[in-house]
Amino acid sequence: MTVENVHKASPRNAAAIKEGSEVKGYYFFFISDKIDKKTNEYTLRITDDNLKMLKDVKFQDSKHVYILESSFNGTDLVFLLYNDDENTFEYQVYGADGKKKHNYLRQITKKEERYLKLTYLAMNDDDEQYKGLYPIENTGFISVMPSREDKDYTFQVDYFSSQKKKQWTYTPTEGGKKFVGDYLGNYNGVVYLEVLRYGGAFDQKPDSYILGLNLETGKKLFEKPTDSKFRFYPASMSLVNGGKPYLYGEYFDVDANIMKDKSSGFAFWGIDEAGKITSEKYVSWSVDMSKYLDVSSKGKIEDFGFMYLHQIVQTADGKIYAVGEGFKKVASALGIASTILGAASGSRGGASMAKIKVTDMMLLTFDQDFNIKGAKVYDKNSNSVEFPSGSEFVSTPLMGKMLKYYYGGFDYAYTQVNKDLTSFSVCYSDFVREKGGYKGGTFNSITCTDGKITTDKINTKSDAKFSAVYPSKQGQVLIMDYYKKDKRLEMHIEKLN
Amino acid sequence: MRLRIQAFYLILCAVAIGTVRAQLQPVFAFQKDDTSIKRKYFNEALQKKSTLVNSLADKNKKDYKQAYEDMFEMVEELLISSRSVTEQAADTYIKTVAGKIISSNPELKGLNVRVVFSRDYFPNAYSIGDGTIAFNAGLFVYLESEAQMAFVISHELAHYYLNHSGQKLAKYVALKNSDSLKKEIKKLVKQEYGVMAQLEKMVKSLTFDIHRHSRDREEEADKVGLQFLKNSGYDGQAFISTMELLDKVDDTSFFSPLHLQKVLSLPGYPFKERWIKKESSIFGAMNSEEASGLTKKERDSLKTHPDCSKRIALLSEQALKIAGQQFLVDENLFKKLKDGFVPEIMEEIYRQGNIGYHLYQSLRMLQDNRYIPLAVYSVARDLNRVYEHQQKHELGLITDTESRFFTENYNEFLRMLYRLRLNEIAELNAAFCSAYKNQMTGYEGFSAEMIKAVRYKSSHDN
Repeated sequence: MTVENVHKASPRNAAAIKEGSEVKGYYFFFISDKIDKKTNEYTLRITDDNLKMLKDVKFQDSKHVYILESSFNGTDLVFLLYNDDENTFEYQVYGADGKKKHNYLRQITKKEERYLKLTYLAMNDDDEQYKGLYPIENTGFISVMPSREDKDYTFQVDYFSSQKKKQWTYTPTEGGKKFVGDYLGNYNGVVYLEVLRYGGAFDQKPDSYILGLNLETGKKLFEKPTDSKFRFYPASMSLVNGGKPYLYGEYFDVDANIMKDKSSGFAFWGIDEAGKITSEKYVSWSVDMSKYLDVSSKGKIEDFGFMYLHQIVQTADGKIYAVGEGFKKVASALGIASTILGAASGSRGGASMAKIKVTDMMLLTFDQDFNIKGAKVYDKNSNSVEFPSGSEFVSTPLMGKMLKYYYGGFDYAYTQVNKDLTSFSVCYSDFVREKGGYKGGTFNSITCTDGKITTDKINTKSDAKFSAVYPSKQGQVLIMDYYKKDKRLEMHIEKLN
Repeated sequence: MRLRIQAFYLILCAVAIGTVRAQLQPVFAFQKDDTSIKRKYFNEALQKKSTLVNSLADKNKKDYKQAYEDMFEMVEELLISSRSVTEQAADTYIKTVAGKIISSNPELKGLNVRVVFSRDYFPNAYSIGDGTIAFNAGLFVYLESEAQMAFVISHELAHYYLNHSGQKLAKYVALKNSDSLKKEIKKLVKQEYGVMAQLEKMVKSLTFDIHRHSRDREEEADKVGLQFLKNSGYDGQAFISTMELLDKVDDTSFFSPLHLQKVLSLPGYPFKERWIKKESSIFGAMNSEEASGLTKKERDSLKTHPDCSKRIALLSEQALKIAGQQFLVDENLFKKLKDGFVPEIMEEIYRQGNIGYHLYQSLRMLQDNRYIPLAVYSVARDLNRVYEHQQKHELGLITDTESRFFTENYNEFLRMLYRLRLNEIAELNAAFCSAYKNQMTGYEGFSAEMIKAVRYKSSHDN
């Protein structure tokens, strides 16, 4: 499919419309005309899963409007638009028939705007993706954004119903403390968030707890600290073993300095609707992982670094697969130079002295009780992400999250699971420089079908201003190329091997 | 003694091979085109183009010349390629039927026309505008009588006789060079705001106008074509039955619907339901026609042909009054060609590179037990081509994707094709070849495809 007259496009202007992990179609959002000095015409194009056009929804709005994010909850679509002239966030909800259903407006204070521009809105770049809008199946959407309340640097959770016009807001405040909150998932009417609470700006041991909110009312149901026999920092949540929620992420020794020390491994916690921990499993680098990988005595996997767990998947045979990606802190020449020059001129440098090097992919296999049964590293070329000044003091788990959500620094793209759970594909990008051969981007997959693993690679190099890869139907991917000069978006579906 | 045993085995072997060969139909003999006829038609078309170009007036000469060049390119592509059928019997037959119509209608005498069958699979016939008329075998195989064939030719002769292509071309050239259009485009180029809305409005208006004229011309060709048919001695009801056929031809096929589970249930490699399991749809509420953003009136205005029911209503009374014959030239040859054209169409689909569609039709041939062993060979060959393209992530180049415009049966097949993993394609073809290897012994090309299929499968064994 080719779309002409696309004045501006970025990867976040298009996404797959999914039901579970099945792709049902796509939407594309673009400026299609200029109406007058202050107004643009915007087009929301909805296609089916074969890119056949189903509907164009056109509307006029201020030219200061940008699309930040979008999401689909199985029945409805939501678009988060930002008007930088009037300082508003607008959540527009559309039905699957392309008809507009509801509109939610949030006015941002000047104070909030300043904080958002340092955090969430700081990623206003074509290559980076926002992450703050999550679907709640068939009912609505959750938005999680950094926020300011008096002296608190905090975050705001909003729920927007897609069925009827209904909304609630939750913002933790405690007078002068700093909160960082991440949405983990929802289960049985409960919204789960992972919260780091800092005593002050230089607190190196933030409290970590799971916050449970009532999906219907937004009222707090529980706060469950994640310190147990270890300090656990959940990164994500998935439903496995009969659709029950499990949290997973890195854990540290209780006395560890999470700014400097390496994690001890990663943990899986089962949790119920009341915040009660139903199971705990710790998989250590030094004992458990070392059976399958070359792990040093200090828990370091050679040339791999730390691991961020992106996703866990359970197949029909009960096996659990965890998809991880390596990252490590390395010294940044740019950051060091910037700091030295900054010190010499009496100001603070712009780049951090540390940068993050994103390394290989890893696929781990477990039984139903999370006993590790196998691990395999899939090599890819490393890439580096420069962090802003001060980031060298950020804890490892938070750095992984920042890398994922704020910097889009990981190469992992998504995991697609077949409805009958017999097959899944882990997809990620890479950049290769083959001597005398291909030089450019590649799209890669690790596919497991009936327990058999295969890998595949598609070269994505083109003359486009950017190329983005989106999930498609089972075993396929959608590649989108934007040609700025021709104002043209081109999309084609490729099948994975 | 040893020599005797060897001789005995040799005789046994020869008898065995002979038996197998005796059971096997020969490798399908495709129609042999007569290149001298192709050359003759090509030269006639070339001559016609020169006449048209040389007679051009100065006004808008460049545009007309370009249009004639484009027209000739279309003719050349048809006549020089493997698409046109110039095999003696087929060519003589269509020429005779067309000749009968021309000789029965004095106004057509002296018209320099070339009516040729093409191997294209889509049910259509068309007049290119220079006297070349193409009759797709994909339409011919659905016809029941020579009278229907004669109506189709009469309709296309009417288009040529009435100079519809010339009128269309003149309208296009006049529009392209009109001062008002140039002025509007100039204005749009300078305009800063609302450009796309204005452009869309302009294009819509022009398209509606062009298509309205196109529908008018179809109705006129029906009317005049029916008169030609009447004068030729064919039954006038053929007009009605042809229209009825055209109305439902997209849902028709010369093979029965494909049951993938049945035809691909192979020993040692069972069919997997997940290959074809349909995913639920969330867009059921979205009417694809309404989704176009056009009103019903606007959608009707975009049709190049009037609805068949409307065409029947306009002329049925006249048609029913025309008594005539179903066959005037050769009923047997008509039937023979209908049957012979099916593999011709199939091979042309393969040559033109739509391997997915060819595989779909080959599986249906196999299922209906027709054109065996060609059907078996075609399936093995296609699956190998699918494997080779998929390995390079180029499957999309040789196959369609599911579409609401296709039948559910074809969509189901396409779903399977896109869901089969590379190793599964290899395993499926190896199992398929193995299942048919005894039956295919001695069939040219099959063993080479089987060797490939086995090699592809072994590459996934580790």
